[in-house]
Amino acid sequence: MKKTNILDVVSRKLSPFILLFGIYLVTFGHISPGGGFQGGVALASGLLLILLAQGPAVLVQYFPLGRIAKAEVAGYGLFLLAGLAGFLLGAGFLSPLFPPPGTIFILNIVIGAKVGAGITLICWYLFHEMEEQE
Amino acid sequence: MNRVFYGTVLLLFSFLLLVSLVVEREPIEQSKGYVLEQGTQETGAVNLVTALYLAYRAYDTLGETIVLIGAVTGVLVLVGKHT
Repeated sequence: MKKTNILDVVSRKLSPFILLFGIYLVTFGHISPGGGFQGGVALASGLLLILLAQGPAVLVQYFPLGRIAKAEVAGYGLFLLAGLAGFLLGAGFLSPLFPPPGTIFILNIVIGAKVGAGITLICWYLFHEMEEQE
Repeated sequence: MNRVFYGTVLLLFSFLLLVSLVVEREPIEQSKGYVLEQGTQETGAVNLVTALYLAYRAYDTLGETIVLIGAVTGVLVLVGKHT
């Protein structure tokens, strides 16, 4: 497939804004429509635009695959820690630690990072497999 | 004999299904009203969807993250051998 200038320019200009929009969706999840899952998918779509239009080397340069995988695992670990931290207060599992919006805000960010990393990893390996078969 | 048995079971189930379809019950609106009234106050989230899935049902969300991590693990096991 031939890479045109249009694809090159548009993907370079558009992907930062998609990533910014994803961060907005994640951080404002408790106020406006959005949240961790939706924002995470928006983040992943920004990364995938870089991957598809610029090639894997550019994506690896800014977001190394090892770090994406670590973000995936760390998101799960942080969610579990946030749940276990409820025991410190003598309350139940996943009971809020911080004053009202705090816990939801933190969990939204954790889930956003986790979902973004997860979708990116899945698509990365599936695209790689597709390229190998061709 | 087998046919009679299966037929009876099917008839019984269809009767139960018919009853559950015909008999109407009042929908339980207690929890809905509670979340609508108290949700923002209790959790601090204006977006009630977020209030539900991160405050009232955070345990469910934990399960969803496990599902996602399972999906990633499955893709890695099946596809990611060579990289």
